[in-house]
Amino acid sequence: MASQSKSPKRFAALDSLLQGLKRSRGSLLVLAVLILFPFVFARITGTSVNEGPAKYWQGQFIAVFIMAIFAMSYDLLLGYTGILTFGHAAFFGGGAYTMALFLTHVAPRFVKTYRVSLPGGLDVTEPSAFLLAILLVVVVSLVLGLLFSIVSVRVKGVYFAIITLAMAEAIHILSKATDFVKWTGADEGLHGVPVPAWINPTQYRLRFYFIALAFAVVMYWLARRIVNSPTGRIFVALRENESRARMIGYNPALYRTIAFVVSALIAGLAGALFSVWTVSATPSMTSAVTTVNALIMTILGGMGTLVGPMLGAAVLEFFGQFLYQWFGARWPLVFGIIFIVLVMFLPYGIVGTWRLRSAQWKRRWSLRKQRAAAQE
Amino acid sequence: MRVKAIWQYGKVYIILLIGLIILSVIGWRAMGQQSFVRTALSGLTLGALYFMVAAGLTIIFGLMDVLNFAHGAMFMIGAYAGWQFYTNPTFLFGLAPLVLALVAGIVVTPLIQPLAMRWAVPARWQRTLRAVVIVVAVILIIVALLGLDVRGLAKTAMVATMVDPLAEATPQEPLAVFWKRPLLFFLAGLLIALAQARPGDRTQVIRSGAAPRAIVALVGFVLLTVAATLTRESGAISVLKMNADARFFLSLAAGALIGAGIGAAIEISLVRPLYVRPTFLILATMGLSFVLRELTQLLWDPLPYAMSRPPLFSQPGKAASILEWFSKHTLTVEIMGVTFPSYRLFIIALGLAMFILLMLVMNYSRLGMTIRAGVQDRDMVEALGINVRRVFTLVFALGAGLAALGGIGAAPFAPVEPVMGDRFQMQGFITVVIGGMGSYSGAAIGALLLGLARAFGDFLALKFSLTPAVSEASTVIIMALVLLLRPAGLFGKKE
Amino acid sequence: MDAILQVENIHTFIGQFHILQDVSLTVERGSITVLLGRNGAGKTTTLKSILGLTPPSEGRVIFDGQDIRGRRAFEIAAMGIGYVPEHRAIFRDLTVAENLKIAERRRGDLDRKADFIFGLFPDLKRLYRLPGNHLSGGQQQMLAIARALVPDNKLLLIDEPSNGLAPVLIEQMMEAIRGLSATTTVLLVEQNFIMASQLAQAYYILDDGKTVHSGAMADLVKDKALIHRYLGAVGESVGGER
Repeated sequence: MASQSKSPKRFAALDSLLQGLKRSRGSLLVLAVLILFPFVFARITGTSVNEGPAKYWQGQFIAVFIMAIFAMSYDLLLGYTGILTFGHAAFFGGGAYTMALFLTHVAPRFVKTYRVSLPGGLDVTEPSAFLLAILLVVVVSLVLGLLFSIVSVRVKGVYFAIITLAMAEAIHILSKATDFVKWTGADEGLHGVPVPAWINPTQYRLRFYFIALAFAVVMYWLARRIVNSPTGRIFVALRENESRARMIGYNPALYRTIAFVVSALIAGLAGALFSVWTVSATPSMTSAVTTVNALIMTILGGMGTLVGPMLGAAVLEFFGQFLYQWFGARWPLVFGIIFIVLVMFLPYGIVGTWRLRSAQWKRRWSLRKQRAAAQE
Repeated sequence: MRVKAIWQYGKVYIILLIGLIILSVIGWRAMGQQSFVRTALSGLTLGALYFMVAAGLTIIFGLMDVLNFAHGAMFMIGAYAGWQFYTNPTFLFGLAPLVLALVAGIVVTPLIQPLAMRWAVPARWQRTLRAVVIVVAVILIIVALLGLDVRGLAKTAMVATMVDPLAEATPQEPLAVFWKRPLLFFLAGLLIALAQARPGDRTQVIRSGAAPRAIVALVGFVLLTVAATLTRESGAISVLKMNADARFFLSLAAGALIGAGIGAAIEISLVRPLYVRPTFLILATMGLSFVLRELTQLLWDPLPYAMSRPPLFSQPGKAASILEWFSKHTLTVEIMGVTFPSYRLFIIALGLAMFILLMLVMNYSRLGMTIRAGVQDRDMVEALGINVRRVFTLVFALGAGLAALGGIGAAPFAPVEPVMGDRFQMQGFITVVIGGMGSYSGAAIGALLLGLARAFGDFLALKFSLTPAVSEASTVIIMALVLLLRPAGLFGKKE
Repeated sequence: MDAILQVENIHTFIGQFHILQDVSLTVERGSITVLLGRNGAGKTTTLKSILGLTPPSEGRVIFDGQDIRGRRAFEIAAMGIGYVPEHRAIFRDLTVAENLKIAERRRGDLDRKADFIFGLFPDLKRLYRLPGNHLSGGQQQMLAIARALVPDNKLLLIDEPSNGLAPVLIEQMMEAIRGLSATTTVLLVEQNFIMASQLAQAYYILDDGKTVHSGAMADLVKDKALIHRYLGAVGESVGGER
């Protein structure tokens, strides 16, 4: 180490990069596996990458990636900032509906009336329409996040949990109200959303797989950065003891707003991507069930770990399917019982319990070593 | 001085009253007498229902800081239980012996305790032992239920035609096959009692007088179990033979009792271990509401059922006044020029009766006194020598019972379906938030405001050719307004 | 002598904070014993630990010959311990009558004790039907003590009875507490040293969650250096303890 610190600056930069890579080698390994997965899987099953079981399983993973990011955004609020909100479906559904509504009702007209071309004469009308949709999703998510955080400044604790539930419920009711059937399709929702051809999930499944994976990686990296930043530490301080954080001089309202806006943004983008993936937007995306799903994934994986909720999403999406086939119509019932058992006996989730146990074991090991050394 | 004091204490009431009067005058003028009165009465009906959900919710929260997400499920269970009891009680009578047998087993805890606590169980195995015992008990319960056609029993009321009640009577499993089921349940109960006695834990205090009471309870419940086992069919038939009105009022009581019993069981098993982790408590009750909804869906399909109104409210014709209704029992009553269903008036009366009953309990009974004291300072109540935990169980049972009573009251008016709990729970939440957590009078006023807002909102929505969904969504705005002005609700304790 | 309460080496945690770190004390039957110490020394926590409101994790609490550590607060209270918390924690939404009635452990306790209580605190009779939040500070403090007198308690734990009271009322409060010691035993937490020194026969000084000194009150009054070291300026009773 001493010799390295003397080395020139550019080496130091490289060095820290290497250090960083070494520290996150677990994540990188997972990433590598996920990148290779479609090809390896296709090779094993002996089919082409873009058809049959390979295609099907890519689809499964895409759903997992999106839900993982959604659950992770919920963990930013529940696990890190300690805010119990039941309105997360509003962000997800808001993103999904914004995307779907724009693509269905606005984008076609946009493409018809405007022409956008790059200096080289390349026609980018359709991509720019899509870009506009994403921008709109960002704006809507920010507005929703701000709306919720404004409420959170004034209303606390249980009142807040209820009011977020009610706000999300109001959005849900409106999303399936027959008054707006022309635009939203009411109960049915929007189906067959005309997504741009180059991102069509049925046609270009592998491309979409990598888009979803890239999205997940970027969002995870973003969340990780925030959580490990001083801001993230203030989130945790707020969770542990709000009045103390206030006394030290941090404005809880400000940091809660930051947490909400970031979380809403990530959830909204996840929702938007989900609506592209399913080429639809349905009232179930804004319903309380969606929030509860995020909640369960977070609890199952472990609150306040970021990785946990993602793992929870994967477990729920994969096993849920098998179990659904097993139990049939009884599955929701079994699922509820499992959830209660989890809450009562495994409150730290998979990742949390694992970390707790491994820390215990490590301590026990070192104690044993010390004792052995003392005896000698 | 006097005026100032009255203003201080009643300003919220006064402002609300003035606001309501002004709105009523405007409404009366703009809508005309007929539609105004009809809408107002509908609003009162809804308000009464919301109050029945909110009352339990608010007391439970006030005393224990528990936001009970399974409260709507209690409402739903009340509706189903009442509907079953009224239409065809075969299901309830078929399961009663099992539940009673389980309870009979559990009540022996104080008898086992002095022995079990002396067992030489190492401290670190005690938890595991208890868990194992509970798991065995659950397995016993599952074994006991094997082969019992629970769904078949549940379905009996679904096909009821109500033309000839006796034709509905369904045979139960013969005693020769059935007898082992209550026995296994009793054994499971004994195991749970063993776990509760915490084998090996010598720090427990044996209360004198607990053992004799336990013996009495044991004998009582065993006798009840035997009686219930023998009257599975005849009991159901005699209920069906009963005068339909009497059966209706009996089903109100049965629904409330079942709700209270389930509430107590929930508090003891699920809520009590989690008081120290409030977030997880919310999650656990949420999971429970999910389980209960799925369970009813499994037993009775996700279809909505309409419970028929008892003859007291369903004679053809129209009574010219409420007084005339008392002799004619007609379907509708004329009030201030409006023809209104008499059953909805009954719901309003039920809500009012519940409010008065609650007021009496809270103000004039020792339990009410303890609740009011506990809302303010739980530790001090405990320090006076009062077993606050038992009060918690009682209050949870009371709250669940009130919700269940509301549910069965609502059953002949609203469709009986698994999602009814969630719907009413949402409104109950909004009600208590408006009224202020922990205040039952706040809940009453919140329910009144919300009910009227919904009724008039629906009226307006219809007028502007919108759907009721818009008015439903707009109740959130009312809640937001109230909370912005008073963050702890109209009558809430300061947080 | 005959000890009604013996606290032996108790440790109490509140959350992660090690509040009591080895507290021991003995209270003789029929005496008035006072707990002294600075703010945050752990006096209130000691009372709450005895009562089981903040259960100690180690040590023994022997009341009336039985080890009561680990029992639930209501069971301990029902054995005959009355608690008068600091800051006059009466039930403000209950009337004076209800505040007394709720303390009954057996039906008729209040009727039996009414004359005794109203003899000590005549004001309460006049205020009987008023809600608790209409009472003045001194009246609330009297009610809090009266509440602990309703059942037959063998031991009273009284936390800072003089806190925030006018001097006249302190005088009256002292009279009342002295009157109590004829029939029961009192363990008192008190910042007002003058009051404490005139009432109590024995004292314990807590510092940083430990008992650091104890003895007869008569000796402590003479030892000005000790008083100054642990209690600061004598006779000042400003502010409450957390």
